[in-house]
Amino acid sequence: MGANIKRLLGAAIIAIGSAAGAAADESLTFTSWGGTTQDAQKASWADKFESETKVKVLQDGPTDYGKLKAMVDSGAVGWDVVDVEPDFAYQAAKMGLLEPLDFSVIDRTDIDPRFVFDHGIGSFYFSFVLGYNPDALGGNAPTSWVDLFDIKKFPGKRTFYKWASPGVLEIALLADGVAPDKLYPLDLDRAFAKLDSIKSDILWWGGGAESQQQLASGEAPLGMFWNGRIYALQKDGAKVDAVWNQNLATADFLVVPKGSKNKAAAMKFIALATSAQGQADLANATAYAPINLKSEGLLNKDLVPLLPSKHAESQITLDLDYWAEHRDEISKRWYDWQAK
Amino acid sequence: MILTRGQGGLFRYVLYGHAALAMAFLLLPIVFIALLSLGSSRWLAFPPPEWTLKWYQELAGDPRWAESLWLSLRLALCVTILSVLLGGAAAFALTRGRFRGRRLLKAFFVSPMIVPVVIVAIALYSFSLKLGLNGTFIGFVAGHLIIAVPFSVICVGNSLRAFDIALEQAAAICGASRLQTLRRVTIPVIAPGLMAAAIFSFLASWDEVVISIFMASPQLQTLPVRMWTSLRMDLSPVIAAVSTLLVLASMLLMLVLGLLLIRRAPK
Amino acid sequence: MKTAAASRTLHEAKPAWPAIAFLLVCFVLPVGALLLRSVTDPQWGLQNFAELLATGTYARVLFNTFLVAATVTLASLIVGYPLAWLIVMLPRRWQQLLLAILLMSMWTSLLARTYAWLVLLQKTGVINRLLMFLGVIDQPLALVNNLVGVVIGMTYIMLPFVVLPLRATLSSIDPALMHAGAICGASSFRLFRSVLLPLSLPGIGAAGLMVFVMSLGYYITPALLGGTSNMMLAELITQTVQSFLNWGLGAAAAVILLAATLLLYAVHMRYLDEAER
Repeated sequence: MGANIKRLLGAAIIAIGSAAGAAADESLTFTSWGGTTQDAQKASWADKFESETKVKVLQDGPTDYGKLKAMVDSGAVGWDVVDVEPDFAYQAAKMGLLEPLDFSVIDRTDIDPRFVFDHGIGSFYFSFVLGYNPDALGGNAPTSWVDLFDIKKFPGKRTFYKWASPGVLEIALLADGVAPDKLYPLDLDRAFAKLDSIKSDILWWGGGAESQQQLASGEAPLGMFWNGRIYALQKDGAKVDAVWNQNLATADFLVVPKGSKNKAAAMKFIALATSAQGQADLANATAYAPINLKSEGLLNKDLVPLLPSKHAESQITLDLDYWAEHRDEISKRWYDWQAK
Repeated sequence: MILTRGQGGLFRYVLYGHAALAMAFLLLPIVFIALLSLGSSRWLAFPPPEWTLKWYQELAGDPRWAESLWLSLRLALCVTILSVLLGGAAAFALTRGRFRGRRLLKAFFVSPMIVPVVIVAIALYSFSLKLGLNGTFIGFVAGHLIIAVPFSVICVGNSLRAFDIALEQAAAICGASRLQTLRRVTIPVIAPGLMAAAIFSFLASWDEVVISIFMASPQLQTLPVRMWTSLRMDLSPVIAAVSTLLVLASMLLMLVLGLLLIRRAPK
Repeated sequence: MKTAAASRTLHEAKPAWPAIAFLLVCFVLPVGALLLRSVTDPQWGLQNFAELLATGTYARVLFNTFLVAATVTLASLIVGYPLAWLIVMLPRRWQQLLLAILLMSMWTSLLARTYAWLVLLQKTGVINRLLMFLGVIDQPLALVNNLVGVVIGMTYIMLPFVVLPLRATLSSIDPALMHAGAICGASSFRLFRSVLLPLSLPGIGAAGLMVFVMSLGYYITPALLGGTSNMMLAELITQTVQSFLNWGLGAAAAVILLAATLLLYAVHMRYLDEAER
């Protein structure tokens, strides 16, 4: 027992010691969702930031809202810049969990106004598209969200995003015939009724990988997906396709948790990430679209047709302000309905 | 033998059939995982279009998996030792002690199993943030130990309850000291219980996901955390490769241990 | 008189002190603080409990959790008991083989095992395709993302937790009793029903309770293999604390589960756990 105590104490001392040592140089912790997207964010932003400012950027992840809240509550905030989902960004701001962004450091003049507010700025923007597996559908190709709700013409399970987040309800309303400019305020009763019509055929995906596995295997021959995931499947050789008609645009946001120990560096990092070059670099690596309007000219020509920004004709932007206001009540209804 | 050969007839064959099915049930996922690790399909399609070793190659080229494996192993060993010691001692008190509130104490020891793990994870995380212990090895050990101790208490307790105290009394009569009795009589007899406690504690730590997700830091990621992130974010048969390698390693270990024990047995 | 009893309690419980101290500091303190939030977050009062019991959702999820846990326990016992018995009965070499296979399944990562079942049980998965190929069914069965998948997956995980303790119990039963019964002319089934089963009941109760309690709070397997319609409590609480960031509500849900389980445990100890008397 004694030897073990010594061993543990030793490990603890080393751990504490190295943590103290790291704090001596300036550093910044960037947290995102992991996987290839975070790898791209690291390459496009973190590495450049490190060489330009000599401030070390540590990667952490995946983003976990429970952890973030616990950190802010306890005052021991270990994350400085966090990539979060849009509705969380708004909600966290309301709950006082975020630092206001310093727009004297971050240049917001060329930023797409849809994706910036006091406490958060877009990380990249993407669209929900209708993805489908042509083989699993026997050659039939859907053309709009209406087809998602047509079990007879397109039999099989359809997969939707699991969490109470902008997207699913809007799709249901659009499929039910609501005009895009009349979507908000959301008619929840109508949306849930529409979803009820196919409830027994709905599969849910909680993470990008799940959605890809479901589509590629044919388990869910069609559904709503992040456009980047369909792109990744196609790059991998999987035979899947996407319908961009009425694609729903939204963005991930970069936020700074309240009480961050490296606020100044965090703001500078965000300034680099949202610059025209930073956004273009990320877009070129991921097929997600830049939120900086000046990035257009810096984009890789072959990639351009795959970007959400090039499918803007029928694009509908999800109303994040609306969701910020009503997230709590919508969430409650959503989870109650899901559990039925 | 409870049912000797020649006896039992149909009933025995029913048992055999049941066991065969159960074994197939147990082996199915393991074999499937092994096959997936050799298939070229990234999305785990089966049968795969081709057979390949590229996932194993990818695994070999990524040091992060080896780091996670090493961390999980060290962690599980620490947790196992501490759990058997703490939980075993507690089991002694529960079975041998004659005091009121024994039942309450037993419920107390089992309670970490009852509280939903996400609550324990968040509670522990908030607590460790205040102490600066998040993302440290010791934080991990504490977190895993909490869920391992109930297993130890239960397993060792079961063994102790079946233990015939007369054996210890006999040893005392023969002049053995308490420590000697413990070492030479008690422990060998309750060894199956200790072994079960060790196995369950090891696996509790080895497979633990939720608490580990909270306790993890970029430098300290246990194997399950890495796998969970992969399952959610970027699916890859590398997970299947990791899993298969571990199973093979454990089979090898069991084989080696088995051979060593056979050689040691004097009979 | 009281102090003597109290000091004897302290003394008798001495070997348990380290475990008690550890759990008090690292478990009771933090978890207690969080559970306290059920009545303090966002304000003092029982609103969180009222909110939980107001909609049918929580009650449904709680009921479903107990139902799944009971089903899994039953399934594990039904599959595991004969297996344990056989392991005890067979000659050493077979014993070791069966145990090795069991241990191999335990040693495989929980996540890998669960995900393997997901892929196996899918409509386009191996099992469905095999059944269709053999002509047993013409449409694929919905074996996953629902209750069936959860029960299959969890029974798989829980099986070793039933077999290993039961094996210990069964091997401690005096074979002479069975021989005596056989000599008296009892059929093997009768032997099982009247001799073996009653003797192994405490072991069954202990193993069953352990699996039941583990299943109640389980997160990973139900989250990956289940659908949202039969959500289990762990997932609901995760949703509440992660998505809603409502720790008070999540804590309240946990308190109710804890209370219900402790009640169950008390019943077990009173009526089934003879050894503690």
